[in-house]
Amino acid sequence: MERIKIQPRNNWQSAVEKLGFGFHTSDVAYWDESAYYTFSLDEITRIETATAQLWELCLGAVQHVIDEKLYAQFHIPEKFVPYIERTWNDDHPAIYGRFDLCVKDGKIKMLEFNADTPTSLYEAGIVQWFWLQDFDKSKDQFNSIHEKLIAYWKYLKIYLHPGKLHFTCLKETLEDLTNTEYMRDCAIQAGLDTKLVFIDDIGWDSTGEQFVDLENEQIKNIFKLYPWEWLAHEEFGGNILKDSNDAFWIEPAWKMILSNKAILPILWKLYPENEYLLPAYFEDNGMKDYVKKPILSREGANIEIVKHYGTVEKSEGEYGEEGFIYQQLFELPDFDENYPVIGSWIIGQETAGMGIREAKNLITDNKSRFVPHLIT
Amino acid sequence: MKRSKKIQLILITAALASCSQKNKEPEWGTGNKTYVRGDSTAPYTRTHHGGGHGLVTAALWYYAFRPYGNYNNGTYTKAGYYSGAISANSNIGSNGFKGSVTRGGFGRSGYSVGG
Repeated sequence: MERIKIQPRNNWQSAVEKLGFGFHTSDVAYWDESAYYTFSLDEITRIETATAQLWELCLGAVQHVIDEKLYAQFHIPEKFVPYIERTWNDDHPAIYGRFDLCVKDGKIKMLEFNADTPTSLYEAGIVQWFWLQDFDKSKDQFNSIHEKLIAYWKYLKIYLHPGKLHFTCLKETLEDLTNTEYMRDCAIQAGLDTKLVFIDDIGWDSTGEQFVDLENEQIKNIFKLYPWEWLAHEEFGGNILKDSNDAFWIEPAWKMILSNKAILPILWKLYPENEYLLPAYFEDNGMKDYVKKPILSREGANIEIVKHYGTVEKSEGEYGEEGFIYQQLFELPDFDENYPVIGSWIIGQETAGMGIREAKNLITDNKSRFVPHLIT
Repeated sequence: MKRSKKIQLILITAALASCSQKNKEPEWGTGNKTYVRGDSTAPYTRTHHGGGHGLVTAALWYYAFRPYGNYNNGTYTKAGYYSGAISANSNIGSNGFKGSVTRGGFGRSGYSVGG
């Protein structure tokens, strides 16, 4: 794994905008093609192997949480427990997830799993692929995200309720809309009948006890880029439990378990010494170098890095009310003060590609940059 | 690694490229008086809106007003248009179906998913 500095394409802004990638820059650059990472095929194969195995471990951990009723450790509302179990036992459709990995010194360690609402899908699947076509067509990339999304939507088609597949996200965020519309694009190419409705426009028809879109069309299947922990706590959340259509929400509610960082100590307890896992606990357990993470947080908020019992980095935020976990510190590799995290994608049951976000510090937050990669 | 070298996007490019255009700065105070109803089945009430050149752009209209109606046995009947952006006091209509539907119960927990 190497980081190579290059000159960005002259027209890079218009090149990515032509792809529909409108959030390449906010107050700081997000898409960054002033560098790229290279990987050997062997390194990529090891990332694929790790991702596939971690996915298996995660499925085992979900079963364990359900069997042992460990929901309190995840702060999951009790009223949602039967529903979560039903979505797991009945195998409600799920399509994707992104493992955040640290790759350093020949080791691969899982930092966390974005199982419910992973973003940067479009950047990973499309934008960096088209960058490679301009930069060096002869090279390859660990990237079959697009093909696998279409293939998996085709596979899921017969398992959905008859009718449309709705897609939803928040209204005023171009990043969320882009990821959602990209997912819808893939579903359309898979032959599904789709429709976009913003999450705040979703209606509840109290007569028919069903969710409806803005045209009062019933919602029977819905892909949501909106976290379960928000859905479950909002005014309409309880309606999911009495929905007469029993709509499929994708990702399904059992992903509430995997997207919660409380899964990290559970994984370590179940699979101690697994080469891809870091020791993690619900208390610091005497560790002198660790990362303290809220069980529910987003974009690197409220993270504290402790070395030799002292805090070396801490991020602000509004999370932490539900509690924290403590994960042994495994520092991100340092490439001239750029610290990359590998986002490795699972589509359906298969590994599918990766995207790299790098930050100027050890906490990868919402100021991190997406940097493309290629295979040497 | 890459199974197919051909990638086709049928939806996202055009739809999202238009979203990334910057809005014009509004010229406050030059707005004309307009008569806006929160729901096209509701009676007119008088409201004053300032806006760029006194006109509400097509895009804003698109986002502000959405059609609503009813699907029955696969047939769609349009009842009118309504806006969630206008106060609930104004957002009243005569269409009966709307009575049993409430909106806005999701979407209050954050501004973006990120992550």
